[in-house]
Amino acid sequence: MASTSTPKPDEKSSTPADSKPEQSQNTKTAGALEEDDEFEDFPVEDWPAEETEAANQQGNTASGGTAADHLWEESWDDDDTSDDFSAQLREELKKVDAAKRR
Amino acid sequence: MDSLIKEFRAAYADQLGNDLAKTLTPDVPNNAAQLMSVWESGNSQSVKDDLKFLFVRDKSARLNMSSEEAVGWQEIYYSYWKALGEILAAEGLRKSRVKVRDHPNQWLIVSLVSPSEPLSTSKSPWSINKLTCRILTQTSWTSVYEAWKELTSQIIRGYTNHEFENWTIPCLYVAGKYMRLYAMRADAERGSNGDEMVTNFQDDFDPETEKHKSLEDCARQLNRIFNLCLSDRAPLSESRKWGIYYAINLLFKTYFKLNSAALSKNVLRVLSAGRGDMPDFESFPKSQQVTFKYYEGVLAFLEENYEEAERHLTLAWLLCHKGATRNMELILTYLIPCHLLTTHTLPSAKLLAPFPRLQALFLKLATAIKKGDLRGFHQALQEGEDEFVKRRIYLTLERGRDIALRNLLRKVFIAGGFIEGAEGGAQVRRTRIPVAEFAAAIRMSGGQDIDTDEVECLLANMIYKNLMKGYIAHERGFVVLSKNGAFPGTGV
Repeated sequence: MASTSTPKPDEKSSTPADSKPEQSQNTKTAGALEEDDEFEDFPVEDWPAEETEAANQQGNTASGGTAADHLWEESWDDDDTSDDFSAQLREELKKVDAAKRR
Repeated sequence: MDSLIKEFRAAYADQLGNDLAKTLTPDVPNNAAQLMSVWESGNSQSVKDDLKFLFVRDKSARLNMSSEEAVGWQEIYYSYWKALGEILAAEGLRKSRVKVRDHPNQWLIVSLVSPSEPLSTSKSPWSINKLTCRILTQTSWTSVYEAWKELTSQIIRGYTNHEFENWTIPCLYVAGKYMRLYAMRADAERGSNGDEMVTNFQDDFDPETEKHKSLEDCARQLNRIFNLCLSDRAPLSESRKWGIYYAINLLFKTYFKLNSAALSKNVLRVLSAGRGDMPDFESFPKSQQVTFKYYEGVLAFLEENYEEAERHLTLAWLLCHKGATRNMELILTYLIPCHLLTTHTLPSAKLLAPFPRLQALFLKLATAIKKGDLRGFHQALQEGEDEFVKRRIYLTLERGRDIALRNLLRKVFIAGGFIEGAEGGAQVRRTRIPVAEFAAAIRMSGGQDIDTDEVECLLANMIYKNLMKGYIAHERGFVVLSKNGAFPGTGV
């Protein structure tokens, strides 16, 4: 085994730029058969860290706030109680209150 | 064939595994003409002779390979040539050469025609032709699969018997990848034309196994590749272990399609048993890492190990190529329900923006959860039911109802406002809340009547699940909430 190339098959890693169109082709040929929830083959085998989603998010961060934090938000509404639903709720609670006093 | 072998030699001389694999890639849509010319370069005998000459006798171009290895490659290219013939025929590019006589399934024709209706009688030639054609198309992808399987076996043999080195493993990838595709086509083809043909000839016919016959066989072949990689005891730098994740990913895809995700767990078990002498996961190409992490995550998800699932899926998400929209969509399909359960967080509009499909899937649900809108939640869950069930996330999402309820109760708490603190201290939130208030809120939000006992039961569950802190004073009809952190993690 010559040491010129490690078995890690990354010789193709330098061509990720034109990845998009190739991918859509792949989906067309194989897609007809494959169930739509199957993970697709990537058009390139490997890519540098700059092209990962993680880097993509950080790139956005640089231009405006902490992007990664904005991707997930709390499941509860902030305490803004002005929406219809809250107003309706307050009405309901008032009724309960009134019923009790009677 | 000469030009193909020229490419082989160039790739071999420089030890470029991917280039080498390209010479064995039947990419018909992009490469039809070249594949045709390879196929048309001779007949069975002449191709065999050519290859023998090119690999064994042609001393001028002798590569630095043992004669043992040369024989291995010679056989591989012969199998490849044969498989090409089947592929081109199945793709409809080789019409002129299709001869019934050549066809391995010709006995089918004979047995169909002869027992009941001798050729000479009433049947017109036209109907026989039609029958023949049907049989040919019916079995064509099956023949492709069989031919390709033979090629795959030859390649595997290359490693076990013919001293192939590990830089050539991309050839194994190509073999496995196309084998799976052809197996699925063969199954689909058998499914679409004439099941009755098959039934006629088999006594022990079982429609379920029949449906995935080729793919199940394919899974066995892929397992051979997996073991071939796993069992290599050579030092890491020249080990076939570098092929392990590619093989595993193919197996995962196959097992998922066969609906036997449990078998994937076996693969993971075998893998973790041998992880000690495996190359670092991070040194594999990212495409393999991401695919593996996705399936590992989904497997954990299906076992309801949501925290583990979240870890794997997050890694897959972060490493994923930023342009691979569909794959990111798939990762998020499972990551979003994970987040809902583990950290009670929802995807932001920004996260969903590039994925209209995910918006359709989750947006309504997320809005309902946020608002504490029980009826809206129920509706969203029902509307998406088919899709959720298909993606195996229905049961997980259903547990989001607790979060919706928590948010509703929280609103009641906040609407309760403040009261004077003890001993004239600062104002504090009202923590003694009548059950009737909660009941009214649930009634309103759920859009249907509910009796007090049931409300108390819901409240007790919330307390049990640590979504709400406090106790129920049943006789007095009050809930007494904790003064600090009545709804843990939500700021009140």
